[in-house]
Amino acid sequence: MSVVESPTTRRPGGSTPHRAPGRAARPRRRRQGASTPWLLVIPTLLLLAGLLGYPLIRMIVLSFQNMRLRELLSGRTPAWVGLDNYTKVLTDSVFWTVVGRTVLFTIVCVLISVFIGLGIALLMRRVARGVRLFMIVAMMFVWALPQLVAAQIFRWITDSDFGVLNYVLNFLPGVNFDNHSWFVNPWQGWGVITTLVVWAGIPFLAITLNAGLTQVPKELVEAATVDGATPWQVLRNITLPILKPLITIVTTLSVIWDFGLFTQNWALRDGHPEPQFQTLATYSYTQAFGQSRYSIGSAISVITVLLMLGVMAFYIRQMFKIGEVD
Amino acid sequence: MVVAASPRRKRVDDGVVTVGRSKAGTVVANAIGVIFSVLMLFPVYWVLNTAFKPADEVLALTPTFWPEHPTFANFTSAFKAPLFLQDMLNGLIVTVLAVAGALVVGFLAALAIARFSFYGRKAIILVVLAVQLVPFLALLIPLFLMLQTASLTNSLIGVSITYLVLILPYTVWTLRGFISGIPRELDEAALIDGCTRAQVFWRIILPLTGPGLVATSVYGFIQAWNEFIIINTLNSPAKQNLMAWLLQNQTTRGTAWGPLMAGAIITSIPVVVFFLLIQRNIATGLTAGAVKG
Repeated sequence: MSVVESPTTRRPGGSTPHRAPGRAARPRRRRQGASTPWLLVIPTLLLLAGLLGYPLIRMIVLSFQNMRLRELLSGRTPAWVGLDNYTKVLTDSVFWTVVGRTVLFTIVCVLISVFIGLGIALLMRRVARGVRLFMIVAMMFVWALPQLVAAQIFRWITDSDFGVLNYVLNFLPGVNFDNHSWFVNPWQGWGVITTLVVWAGIPFLAITLNAGLTQVPKELVEAATVDGATPWQVLRNITLPILKPLITIVTTLSVIWDFGLFTQNWALRDGHPEPQFQTLATYSYTQAFGQSRYSIGSAISVITVLLMLGVMAFYIRQMFKIGEVD
Repeated sequence: MVVAASPRRKRVDDGVVTVGRSKAGTVVANAIGVIFSVLMLFPVYWVLNTAFKPADEVLALTPTFWPEHPTFANFTSAFKAPLFLQDMLNGLIVTVLAVAGALVVGFLAALAIARFSFYGRKAIILVVLAVQLVPFLALLIPLFLMLQTASLTNSLIGVSITYLVLILPYTVWTLRGFISGIPRELDEAALIDGCTRAQVFWRIILPLTGPGLVATSVYGFIQAWNEFIIINTLNSPAKQNLMAWLLQNQTTRGTAWGPLMAGAIITSIPVVVFFLLIQRNIATGLTAGAVKG
């Protein structure tokens, strides 16, 4: 962090004397209360340091120790085991299966949701005003639903005995979905989870991208259309390039959110996901709180954060680049 | 941010391109739009449909698409279920404490970032942005051990502080946007007219940030109200919130779908209402500025 700090922070202080004349009245007052901004941010920094910074360090330390139930109950300092936990985790084929599954789920889910979200956003520009309003209202209700509630609804819809999904699918010719359990076959189970995540994610994507589409100059599109551009050409050469920064941001956010999948597979599997329904987040949680292997859980969490670090850095760089941060 | 949202909304209708569009295409588009909306709404409709059905209709092998004998029985049995009211009260206490705390602390920091230039400002912005991306769940293990040592597990205070920190970065970030939206000229005019910095704060910045404070606290409310993993891990059933209740309900007593769906509706109502009130501000916090008008 300090690497980024040095070149950027020097600027505000250094440029003060060169400020525009209109702002000349302020430095005098600012000198008076040079410590004021720091007094204002100190409570926030203390809280973040205490409940985010310290746990982060503690998590890293834990991953090099052997903290189990015995150590927790006795309060003894757990033994230092060096890289043992990491060796254990990284040589475990179960862990790599979970990593692969989480990555695959993230890719599939993000691709489907961004694709549909963009499609819906474009569709919203094409439909009549009343239909657009209906679409927005429908999506707002979905967006507003708490994740856990949404997961519970999907659990009910896909219930093997009384779920409405099996009932409706039975109307298809030649199939029998009576008492069909959706979570016996992991591919079907993940299909349900993916549907749930995509369904819940579309509103944010579609509504945000639609807001972006309203910023595409109407004149540009009309001029191109009059000059004979096909709708596809307009989309590829005008709309998408203008929308690109926004698409990048929402895709990055979707990756971060989907990679951390917990609530949906946790709730759909009654709080006890079978091995084939574990993701990195639930796997780490189960190791720590289900089996009291706090150190192994921490090591998995550290690896998870490291895996995501690149994506997070990319998001922050993007936010700085588009000038939202000044 | 709010200020910018209202004129932009008007452009949704004005900016529609009409050149070169066939009538048949529009009809198809409208049809797809309606089908899409109905599909999106189906799960929402289904939870309502289930919640108002008597028990025998809920567990009918041929589900009906309308409650034949609508009843409030599921809601009364949800309210009468063990710990439901207790957990509702817990959730309220924890959420209100967290939101109030985050608002006070976060507003000060937002003020510093938006209105002062000082050494380290960019670094603080970076921290506030980065911290929002840290998966809080990853920190649950050390957090649990920390609060355990401080005897703050199984207490509403421990969870409140945790939630406060959970919503603090977003609060700072959003309020900073609202404060930046107030023209600096107003501050300067007041200063020239002899106001002190404190007076500028009380008479100009605070009243003008009012809507922003509401929007931000509502979003904080939603986040804290919806959380269940932390509270479920740290506290025993008597000290949890309604979300955690929904989770407990499914595992311990088999699934009573009717009361569960009724409970889910009761739990969602405050969130849905609040969300619909402030929906326009939610996305902008994360993406605003990505497209310049």
